Amino acid sequence: MPEEKQLTEQESLQLITSMIQKVKGGYHENGTGPILWGTVVSIASFVTYLQREYLFDLPFDIWLIVMAAIIPQIIMVRKERRTRPHIKYEDEAINAVWIVYALTIFGLTAYQAIVPEVSTNLLKAEGWQMMKHVLDNSKPDEVLTPFTPSLYSIYILVYAFPTLVTGITKKFTPMLIGSGIAYTCFIISLYTASKYDFLLGAVTAITCWLIPGIILRRRYLAQKKANV
Amino acid sequence: MFKELDPILHSQLRLAVMSLLITVKEADFTYIREKTNATAGNLSVQVQKLKEVGYIDVLKQFKDNYPQTTCKITPKGIEAFEAYVQALQAYLKT
Repeated sequence: MPEEKQLTEQESLQLITSMIQKVKGGYHENGTGPILWGTVVSIASFVTYLQREYLFDLPFDIWLIVMAAIIPQIIMVRKERRTRPHIKYEDEAINAVWIVYALTIFGLTAYQAIVPEVSTNLLKAEGWQMMKHVLDNSKPDEVLTPFTPSLYSIYILVYAFPTLVTGITKKFTPMLIGSGIAYTCFIISLYTASKYDFLLGAVTAITCWLIPGIILRRRYLAQKKANV
Repeated sequence: MFKELDPILHSQLRLAVMSLLITVKEADFTYIREKTNATAGNLSVQVQKLKEVGYIDVLKQFKDNYPQTTCKITPKGIEAFEAYVQALQAYLKT
């Protein structure tokens, strides 16, 4: 691009438009993040479903693999920040949405872990407890720990939210479709037994993150190959 | 009476750089060079001019033992760019 060329007003406007278009482009993530999260969340959800369906235990909590995925995620984010040639304003906004999402998931997990025990103690302090009573009296009554029925439906709803925001902002159809499927799974999960909610959660993780991540990865590798 | 077009911006490469930087939060030198198809020397001179008038900030640092130059538009740069576009539109309306 020669520096000294004096532009006409029309040429100036055309240049501004073409530069803005060049930067806008598509969604150019390398896809590793969505692949990682899509894989661990779908595996954890599916294994939980199998545990509840076939009544078996693992020697460890399968959801620990989701916690463990935080480490490679931090490494990937740091590496990406070092190599990223530019930062768009929308990237900052999307990052903020995913941070809020992570905090929400953390909050829900804490809720799930803390509230039942605290509620039991509060009820005891008030002098009563929750009981399970079988309507036909075929089994004796038993003490229940307070719980939120079908809580995983809420997780599915939360999975859809940052995916939809990213899909809309980046105009990335696979994530728009993924979030649409997630909302559908959420609605279905309202009517199903909680063990099936985990199956729906696995479907949600695959369609929201794993498949879009694979598509992003393919695009990224194709672009990288073209630039060599 | 038309406002005079800002001579700093009314140059092909400087305008291209500013148009790019108005769209992103920050961009590194190599990326700008790739998008503007400019030579490193020419781009370096124009970036320096934009920096001297306070339209952009230039941050030079080392990342993984390699030098990296990052450019970012300043509030003064945004103001100048907006004024330039308004002036252009006024010219084109006549």
